[in-house]
Amino acid sequence: MSPELLLALLTGAALFGVGLYGALSQTNLVMIMMGVELILAGALVNLVAFWRFLHPESYPGQMFVLIVMTVMAVEMAVGFGVAIARFRARGSVEMEEARELKG
Amino acid sequence: MSALATTVLAPLAATAAILLLRRTPAMLALAGTAIGLAASLALLAGTFGGEHTVLTLPGLPGLPLRLLAEPLTAVLSVLVAGVGACVMIYAVGYMKDDPEPVRFFATMTFFLAAMQALVLAGDWLLLLAAWELIGLSSYLLIGFWYRRPGVPAAASRAFLYTRSADLGLYLAVFVLIGTHGGSVIDTSLAGGGPAALAVGLGLLAAAIGKSAQVPLQDWLQRAMAGPTPVSALLHSATLVAAGAILLIRSAPLLPPGALLATGLVGGVTTLITGLVALGEGDLKRLLAASTSSQYGLMLVAVGAGVPLAALAHLLAHATIKSTLFLGAGVFQHARGSTALDALHGAGREHRTVFAGFTLAALALAGIPPLSGFFSKDAVIAAALGSPYAPLLGPLALAGTLLTGAYLARALRILWRGDNRPRPLPGLAWMGTGFTILVALAAALGLAFPALEAAFPVGRLPETAGAQAAGLAAALAGLAAGWWIGGRRLLGPLLGWARRDFAVAGGLDRWILRPALVLAAACERLERKLYHAVLAIGRLGLRVAAAIRLGDERGIDALIFALVRGTVGLGRRLRALQSGLVHRELAITAAGTALLWIALLASAWP
Repeated sequence: MSPELLLALLTGAALFGVGLYGALSQTNLVMIMMGVELILAGALVNLVAFWRFLHPESYPGQMFVLIVMTVMAVEMAVGFGVAIARFRARGSVEMEEARELKG
Repeated sequence: MSALATTVLAPLAATAAILLLRRTPAMLALAGTAIGLAASLALLAGTFGGEHTVLTLPGLPGLPLRLLAEPLTAVLSVLVAGVGACVMIYAVGYMKDDPEPVRFFATMTFFLAAMQALVLAGDWLLLLAAWELIGLSSYLLIGFWYRRPGVPAAASRAFLYTRSADLGLYLAVFVLIGTHGGSVIDTSLAGGGPAALAVGLGLLAAAIGKSAQVPLQDWLQRAMAGPTPVSALLHSATLVAAGAILLIRSAPLLPPGALLATGLVGGVTTLITGLVALGEGDLKRLLAASTSSQYGLMLVAVGAGVPLAALAHLLAHATIKSTLFLGAGVFQHARGSTALDALHGAGREHRTVFAGFTLAALALAGIPPLSGFFSKDAVIAAALGSPYAPLLGPLALAGTLLTGAYLARALRILWRGDNRPRPLPGLAWMGTGFTILVALAAALGLAFPALEAAFPVGRLPETAGAQAAGLAAALAGLAAGWWIGGRRLLGPLLGWARRDFAVAGGLDRWILRPALVLAAACERLERKLYHAVLAIGRLGLRVAAAIRLGDERGIDALIFALVRGTVGLGRRLRALQSGLVHRELAITAAGTALLWIALLASAWP
């Protein structure tokens, strides 16, 4: 294993850990979504590192990264849409106050 | 339209016309009867010319109905039509004051049509149907004055007696059709077959019922409750004659055993009913008993194997007996009763009628040269010449003797006594019919040679000994009846004769009680069957209830349990969804970690 790959994997793991902590510890919807973004970013770093240092000739790896980025963008759009609607309706995006959303 | 069909249809059309128009019923009936008579005379002329006519009508599949004109049937048809016409003429006068002439004449013409169908029938099914129809119409006619006490009972009695005996005819006809494969009478006359004796006895049973033979004879005397023209017709040429006609027609197929039974039944009947007539206290009932007695003589002739003699006596008796009844009807109108006690001297009031009555009585007794002499001597000669002569001969002679005795007794009672002449309404019509019949009764004997010639087989047996014996018996009977009188002649037998020798109870004892016992047994059986059916029903209900229980407890419960389980599971799973984002995120993370561990553990070598 090359030191660059190890470094990249450590970075990805750090990002994932920070993101998971953020998502679980925060109560604000926007903050939770940012935690989720960090988790996904950690995964992306891992994917790119594996592609770059182990199989640079494999294009499906790149495609996979692109798809994950698209999912991130879509998730952000939907999440913020929900947050804005919630804020307009209740003036707050605190998730502890949104239990009724379970239906 | 052929004469054959007209013979039957003319009276029937008269019935329909009378019922539809409801006026001048007497004239319509006369017209229908006259047309029928003309047609049957034409038929007779044709058959004596050697022509046999058959009219086939559609009937049951494979068993067509046939009307047949041969010498025997044509002669009988003319007899029915002729006597019917005379009686109808007489009835116009007799029923002048009756309030319901429509019903009377309609039934009379219907009766004639049915009887014509019976005598002309060429197959057993039509014969059976006509047999039933004359039973029905005689019931209607005997019960014509149904409001009078005792009349409905008499009509029902006549119907039930003849009806129960008819079962014999059904049995015989079914066996005949079964063994001969067809219902044509001519072909089944060949006889033989495995069940010939059963057939013969079945026919005999039917004839016993219809011809009022022992032990079923007493319905005939009770049937006197009907109007006198009805009695005249019933007794002479129609209902009662049907039994004898049946036996005469089917004589060729009777085996020796059945012939002997026929002869014995006839002989016993002629003796017993002769004695009954001797002790009778009512003119019409006396004549009725005499009818049974004379038909007994005919059965003797059939049993002796000479049906032609029976036919001759049937013809002679038909004219004579209708004459006697019509005469009795005149006396009845004169005195308002038929009891012999009330009729003392009635003959002296109406001397011409009495002369005709006497002429007919002498003819019936068998005095030459009247018709009864020839026919009765033929019967006696047949009885003496038969294989069973020791049995049948004395019975026939005794019957002849008794005939003379009871007729002489009746004549004496009618002649002796006070007389108060009274005008009688309708006597002209009654006299016309009566006169024609008297002439026929007297002169019919002259036609017997022609009758013999028409039948290729057989001659009327005629022996000097039989003639002498018959004449002696008749004269002795007449003398005894006139000078000694019925009651003294009967002596100790009088009480028995009044009670019909207790043989009339034969129906009660031998048929009615067994029938009641049988009915009770059937009733018990039916009750058991009924309970069995009910039990089957209850069993079915119980099975159904059990099945329903199985459905409810089993299948339904299973389905409901599944539903409840699903619903409960759903409720419990729903509790997982709290709406708390953190908790769910934590669960997700923990789940993912578990997945990881599982994946790693599985990937580990």
